[in-house]
Amino acid sequence: MTTLSRKCVPFTPFDRELSKTTIAIVTAGGVHLKDQEPFNIADELGDLTYREIPPDVDSSQLMVTHHHYDHSDADEDINVVFPIDVLRDLEAEGFIGGIAKKHIGYMGYTMQLKAMYEGTAREIANEIDKASRADAVVLTGG
Amino acid sequence: MKGIPTVLITVSPEVSGQMRPPRALYPKGFKIGNSLGRPGMRDLQKKVLRDALSLLTQNTRPGEFVTLEYPEYGEQYEPPRVKKL
Repeated sequence: MTTLSRKCVPFTPFDRELSKTTIAIVTAGGVHLKDQEPFNIADELGDLTYREIPPDVDSSQLMVTHHHYDHSDADEDINVVFPIDVLRDLEAEGFIGGIAKKHIGYMGYTMQLKAMYEGTAREIANEIDKASRADAVVLTGG
Repeated sequence: MKGIPTVLITVSPEVSGQMRPPRALYPKGFKIGNSLGRPGMRDLQKKVLRDALSLLTQNTRPGEFVTLEYPEYGEQYEPPRVKKL
């Protein structure tokens, strides 16, 4: 495992054209499918798990479980934190090349920073790296 | 793993900055829960996402936050500050 200085910015260069790039979304905004298990907001330490969201998801089937921001706007239009329909528009107009095979939602509130940073974050990066075919990732918070 | 290029859209630049994201867009004055804009404002949402993705192709300094203004968003909000211990 590579250990990075706490002051290091882990910068990966981008050397493609956007019109040939496949994009994945990773959000800390507590987004998940309505039929997936909600994040555990009862645990004051937070929830270290994440949910996989498929590329062909109907955005009306997404919801937010997160009690540390006002997600009433996301309840109305999930694209304000998880821009999957917006990404589809950008694909249709040729601005990007495609939409990744896997997207991720997690609840970006935790009192277990070390476990989030060394565990969850690495697991999410592996999901994206191994199974999403994404060339680049858009990260959003709440 | 060779690493995956990322770009963050954040409405809390000071808070997000603590995690040292490699590239970040702060849409100025957007409130928490409105990373891409307000509900139904698809043109604005597209603009914000295009601007964020475009940061991938620009020669930004690692860790740099780019602030852009979107007057069509309407009422502006102050971003949260990091609490000093």
